[in-house]
Amino acid sequence: MSILFKGRMQGAQVSNISLYQRVVMFFVSHLRQALSSLGAMWRSRAASLMTIGVLGLSITLPTTLYVMVKNVEKISSGWEQASQISLFLKPNIRQGDIDQLLKRIQLWPEIDAINYISSEQALNEFKDMSGFGDAIAYLDDNPLPNVVLVTPTSRHASPVSARLLLDRLRDEREVDIGKLDIEWLERLHGILNVVKNLVSVVAILLFLAVVLIIGNTIRLNILNKKDEILVMKLVGATDAFIQRPFMYTGFWYGFLGGVLAWFAVILLLLWMSNSVSAVSALYQKNFEITGVDFSTFLWVIGISVFLGLSGSLLSVKRHVREIEPK
Amino acid sequence: MIKFEQVSKTYPGGQQALRKVNFHIEPGEMAFLTGHSGAGKSTLLKLISIMERPTVGKVFINGHDLGSIQRKQIAYIRRDIGMIFQSHQLLMDKSVFDNVALPLVIEGYSHKEIAKRVHAALEMVGLRDKVKSLPMMLSGGEQQRVGIARAVVNKPPLLLADEPTGNLDPKLSMEIIRLFEDFNQAGVSVFIATHDLGLIARMKYRTLTLKQGQMITDGLTEDFQSDELYD
Repeated sequence: MSILFKGRMQGAQVSNISLYQRVVMFFVSHLRQALSSLGAMWRSRAASLMTIGVLGLSITLPTTLYVMVKNVEKISSGWEQASQISLFLKPNIRQGDIDQLLKRIQLWPEIDAINYISSEQALNEFKDMSGFGDAIAYLDDNPLPNVVLVTPTSRHASPVSARLLLDRLRDEREVDIGKLDIEWLERLHGILNVVKNLVSVVAILLFLAVVLIIGNTIRLNILNKKDEILVMKLVGATDAFIQRPFMYTGFWYGFLGGVLAWFAVILLLLWMSNSVSAVSALYQKNFEITGVDFSTFLWVIGISVFLGLSGSLLSVKRHVREIEPK
Repeated sequence: MIKFEQVSKTYPGGQQALRKVNFHIEPGEMAFLTGHSGAGKSTLLKLISIMERPTVGKVFINGHDLGSIQRKQIAYIRRDIGMIFQSHQLLMDKSVFDNVALPLVIEGYSHKEIAKRVHAALEMVGLRDKVKSLPMMLSGGEQQRVGIARAVVNKPPLLLADEPTGNLDPKLSMEIIRLFEDFNQAGVSVFIATHDLGLIARMKYRTLTLKQGQMITDGLTEDFQSDELYD
């Protein structure tokens, strides 16, 4: 409805169409504008491709790092389940007592398996493995203790319950020292956390760069179309109407950049998977890189589109307003 | 339709473009605005289309004070005013059809309605056969008529023209003015700024004359001599 002239209809009201048709028209006109923005990008392919490339690669780096951190976490969680407890027995206890201990703790429900290594066995093994065999022959007596290796059942293999089990085992009369083999895991977790923070910082910096790049590209688009925008304003276009195609351009940059990033990540991981499987074969582990699933895909596209839209919004809010007929 | 009350406009920098201008154009009237270049004609038109705001005084359209119109509403105000420019302000890379359709696209008309109205508007200005041409391929007079078709395509109650015959020879100028007369007879208020005194002299329309920002005459063309202006 016109502001100045009561009863003068403007726009769609004139044709007296139904609400349903108007809703349909709304979506049709948005779709048309989205496609025409895509068409405009196609007409300046080279420039558009460069922008999309910058965007895609900027998103590829943090995504790849993220996938790698996720995978390292997965490996380490696999090892955490197999944590072992080493019990060093007191010296000078009789073999009968040791047998008693082994029989007793074997029955504990928390324990899956035990492996007894006598001091003689350990010494022999050490002689064979270390190459100090001759030197060891000079020792008066065996300095190594008897050791029991305890593997907890999977239900009690988490760091907390394994620690509880360790405390109980330490209370046994024959046990001198007990050690849990997960301290290095905790260190690994610490390092992983540092890496994760690093990934976040890198991601934030790159995302900011993307927003600025898109903002600048859209700014140039707006300045290129300055004359057209002036004419549109003269014949009564609202800022929102003028902004829409630029917002769609930002959307497409984001979307296509995201798709490009996705393919780049997949290629990178494929390329790396050969070397990764070579390493994991050395550890006799079957390991496949994961994390490249549909939900990650949606996240990458979502973030990318969000960045594209923010960049163009930033530009459009400033520059479309600035262009006024004089 | 258009009413100025004690309107003055001073540009930043101190240049005074309009001084205490008063006039009132009735609905359905056709009037000319004339004066030297720099007399304030363009400024006066810009105050009506809210490209500029008055420093002092009030501008009314159809009884509505434009001072109360907010920035966001300006676009809707311009949809009620058909504007025609000396420099046409056409989009040179779009076809004649697209140029004329622009106001309708902005207002969200349906495809069918747009085609219907654009053809009707081009029919009125006699350019029916140029629908698919680019403005570049048209003559100056034809380009101006495309601009007029665009201004009237959404049937605004008010037409403003800033030097619409500026680049045209007398015969073409007369044709353009006849077009405006047609619209005026259909009930549209028409306000034309021009320094083409010869053109005005041939017709009997109300003429407002600006000199150094002041309204010096307001009346029918025959009431004043052109040398009054140029003393």
